[in-house]
Amino acid sequence: MSDTTQVTERGQSAVAPQDSNDQRRRDPRTPPVDIIEDAHSVTLWADLPGVTKDRLEVKVQDGRLTIDAESVVPVPTNLRLIHAEIRAPRFSRSFTVSDDFDTSRIDASLKDGVLRLTLPRREEAKPRRIEVAVK
Amino acid sequence: MNDSFNGANLFTELERLQRQMSTLFDGLPSSLRTGRFDAFPQINVGSTDDTLEIVAFAPGLDPAKLEVSVEKGLLVIAGERVTRDGTLPDGTREYAHERFSGAFRRAIELPQHADPDKVQARYVDGCLLISVGKRETSKPRAITVQ
Repeated sequence: MSDTTQVTERGQSAVAPQDSNDQRRRDPRTPPVDIIEDAHSVTLWADLPGVTKDRLEVKVQDGRLTIDAESVVPVPTNLRLIHAEIRAPRFSRSFTVSDDFDTSRIDASLKDGVLRLTLPRREEAKPRRIEVAVK
Repeated sequence: MNDSFNGANLFTELERLQRQMSTLFDGLPSSLRTGRFDAFPQINVGSTDDTLEIVAFAPGLDPAKLEVSVEKGLLVIAGERVTRDGTLPDGTREYAHERFSGAFRRAIELPQHADPDKVQARYVDGCLLISVGKRETSKPRAITVQ
């Protein structure tokens, strides 16, 4: 009975009225972040509960670091939502990255729904994709 | 609301407000024990024919330090979230501190038909999934029309 479904998306169709607010609820959420800089790098932590490695995309392009993710919660298929504090299953947030960071050496890891990114300083920014490692 | 206007927090604050408004107008019943709208962890509750499913969005926790208890029809999720060890070392600067840190406690009122002896909890990808069984008598049954 434990099919992988999106608890949030399901709730919209099951309980919430299909009104003009529907679109707004599907808008991605902005995940909270902590950002710390030391002499060598900037480290960023983002809360992405329910996100797995294959549903997470971190990329740097044109001086912009973008985090896109979708949370998938394994709940039974015939679930009816009673109370919802979280509705949109998607997360999105982007930051500008200045040229003094080496975007070819960004380290990304995801553990228990927390993404940790380390951006070392130096070198110019090139468009590239960042592989996410699961610890 | 006190620090609403010190820059980086403004958008977080606006988002919180939007969430608060949407909760108010959604018409879903809310309980006296629901607490603040932006409480950690955020919780969704759903129901199936056999179970009550509770999802707490609680990333980055140590499952061993997560406390889930049921007492007098109240399901309590408590624990502490440590996002950083102690103070920042010298020479480091903090640009954002939006993630929740510290002790938390959330209570969920279980309906009468929930069976406190049938509670299962697991922690997957930063989500705490709790499944509470329903008593036999409360399960839906077809009524034969004579």
